Amino acid sequence: MSDSRPTSRPDSVLEDPGTLAVATMYAQSYLSAAAENGVAAPEEELNSLVDDVLVKFPEFEQLLMSDSLGRDDKLAIVDRVIAPRVSGFFVNFLKVLIRHGRIAMLPLVQNVVAKLQEEAAGKKRIRVKSARALSDSSRSQIVAHLKSTFGFEPVLQETVDASLLGGVILQVGDTVYDSSLRSRLKQLNGRLVEKAFNEIQSGRDRFSHPEGD
Amino acid sequence: MKFKADEIASVIQKEIEDFRGQIQTAEVGRVIEVGDGIARCTGLSTVMSGEMLEFPNGTRGFAFNLEENSVGVVILGDYLKIAEGDEVRSTGKLLSVPVGEALLGRMVDPLGNPLDGKGPVITSESRPVEWLAAGVAERQPVKEPLQTGIKAIDAMTPVGRGQRELIIGDRKTGKTAIAIDTILNQKDTGVICVYVACGQRASSIAGVVEVLREKGALDYTIIVAATSADPAPLQYIGPYAGAAMAEYFMYQGKHTLIVYDDLSKQAVAYRQLSLLMRRPPGREAFPGDVFYCHSRLLERAVKLNKELGGGSMTALPIIETLEGEVSAYIPTNVISITDGQIYLEPDLFWKGIRPAINVGVSVSRVGGNAQTKAMKKIAGSLRLDLAAFRELEAFAQLGTELDKDTQSQLDRGYRMVELLKQRQFGPLHVADQVVTIYAGTKGYFDKVPVAKVSETEKELHEFIRTEHADMRDKLVKEAALTDEIEGMLKKALEAFVTRLASKA
Repeated sequence: MSDSRPTSRPDSVLEDPGTLAVATMYAQSYLSAAAENGVAAPEEELNSLVDDVLVKFPEFEQLLMSDSLGRDDKLAIVDRVIAPRVSGFFVNFLKVLIRHGRIAMLPLVQNVVAKLQEEAAGKKRIRVKSARALSDSSRSQIVAHLKSTFGFEPVLQETVDASLLGGVILQVGDTVYDSSLRSRLKQLNGRLVEKAFNEIQSGRDRFSHPEGD
Repeated sequence: MKFKADEIASVIQKEIEDFRGQIQTAEVGRVIEVGDGIARCTGLSTVMSGEMLEFPNGTRGFAFNLEENSVGVVILGDYLKIAEGDEVRSTGKLLSVPVGEALLGRMVDPLGNPLDGKGPVITSESRPVEWLAAGVAERQPVKEPLQTGIKAIDAMTPVGRGQRELIIGDRKTGKTAIAIDTILNQKDTGVICVYVACGQRASSIAGVVEVLREKGALDYTIIVAATSADPAPLQYIGPYAGAAMAEYFMYQGKHTLIVYDDLSKQAVAYRQLSLLMRRPPGREAFPGDVFYCHSRLLERAVKLNKELGGGSMTALPIIETLEGEVSAYIPTNVISITDGQIYLEPDLFWKGIRPAINVGVSVSRVGGNAQTKAMKKIAGSLRLDLAAFRELEAFAQLGTELDKDTQSQLDRGYRMVELLKQRQFGPLHVADQVVTIYAGTKGYFDKVPVAKVSETEKELHEFIRTEHADMRDKLVKEAALTDEIEGMLKKALEAFVTRLASKA
């Protein structure tokens, strides 16, 4: 997977949602075309191209992705270098990407393909944020709980954030379930402040006249 | 009184022991771009339009644009502390503001945060900023008067409770002055006032607050301030927030008055937001729904039916025109929404006719039903008389010889114009207005030199209040000019005229 690759884009900078939408379209088309043509494991060649070729030969990646080379030249390179070694179906897909000027999206398409396949298999990625690294027992506990609650196979993406102090934050899709110690303390703080406000108000009410000053 | 440390400690400890934190669930998204008071976010797949959102530093915003791949969020506060990648939480609530008695006498920003340094606004109630206006069945016709205390308005363009009367004019023609006088005149009438300053200079808002405080009007007034230094989103929601605060009292059966000062600045703020959100620009670069922006706001001014308590919200929107151009986009829009307009002219203002109301163009479409009987009786022909006078005046300037009738008509016209002048912050009770206008139209001022008319008017009020208080009290009580009262009034005026003659 390309996740482990150093990228020029820091994590805090988000993918343009428009680009993501286009990549999703290509990924969906790739998978459905593969299904129609009876290609088994279409992700294999895609992953292999990105992980075994592009990562190991960054010059080749630059050549393929850069705008300095014309589309016809890129097609010729694909014909010479890649075509003899992979299936005709995959070469065709690469050529479509090149012709449409979308070849730079290849790593993104690879990500989306993986995600779509997970979804098709009833799996879902879930972000888990915890104060300390999860132990195996708590991990399996979380997985079992999520499975029984949501009915899909969770794929945990774990991050450690010491500022949570304790507890975990789970993100399923766009919904966040927050049971961290940090936010509980925040709640408690709010509750105490509110109580103090009410005390002040009732203290004021005692001295004010109901019919007005 | 001192706190006892042990006692406090045990109370806090108990509070902590009893505390059971709940798992917080929230819909989240991430900021992809931010700037100029707006942010574009991904995620937030179930967010509602207008839903309140929260940024990590506590800044609030609301969902403005729901697009295919992203959500356009308007940031209500400091957007410089928000960065790309920040998490945005939905709250499941519509944007709302605190409402209630605690707000009376306070100055708050459009989110209900105090601006006057008098401590937090302690109220448990809140109300959504956007609220659907009462429907047809929930209303009744406008029929009670809302006295502005300004002779020219109460006589010729009367305002009723639940009416929307536009105040329109160029800069520096006394638009705000009319609104402030109207607020001052609501003292002891139980009408709750809300003054929404939108895109105004902070110094002029401070001036308004000072006047209200000085005249004791702050006790029944809420001031919602979004100065021109505040971000556009705050200026945009200011009027809606003010309306929500007034509605709270209206649905309790109380009468309220709300001044939007001014809506042209709000439209400009809305234009800024819309253009930043890439909504397509239309005429004068305003977005296509700028009409709806104002119509849904002004439609919230209603007179509720008896079942709902009979409360009312009277709106006085203010629009500033450029060089008297009433056919610009925003002025025409608001003129068509409101139930009439008070048109102020710089020429009249500089001639010394203040309030500088152009009687010919100013109208009130429903206020006539809301006038007191006394005022209706005497002011019926005033507008036409004044129009006839203006025509004659123009004719007389040609230097033609005039017959006696025409000359006397002109003379009375000059005196009427003089009588309709009124100084700022000096609202008059409707009974005093009736006396003045009656005296003017019936010719009791004909012998008074034009320059001395306003002085004599003051003397007349003094005279009536001290020597004919019974007649005035009756007029105040019955609010109608019955034959009996009219007889008494005539007698009083004759006595006044003879006294004037003897003095001279």
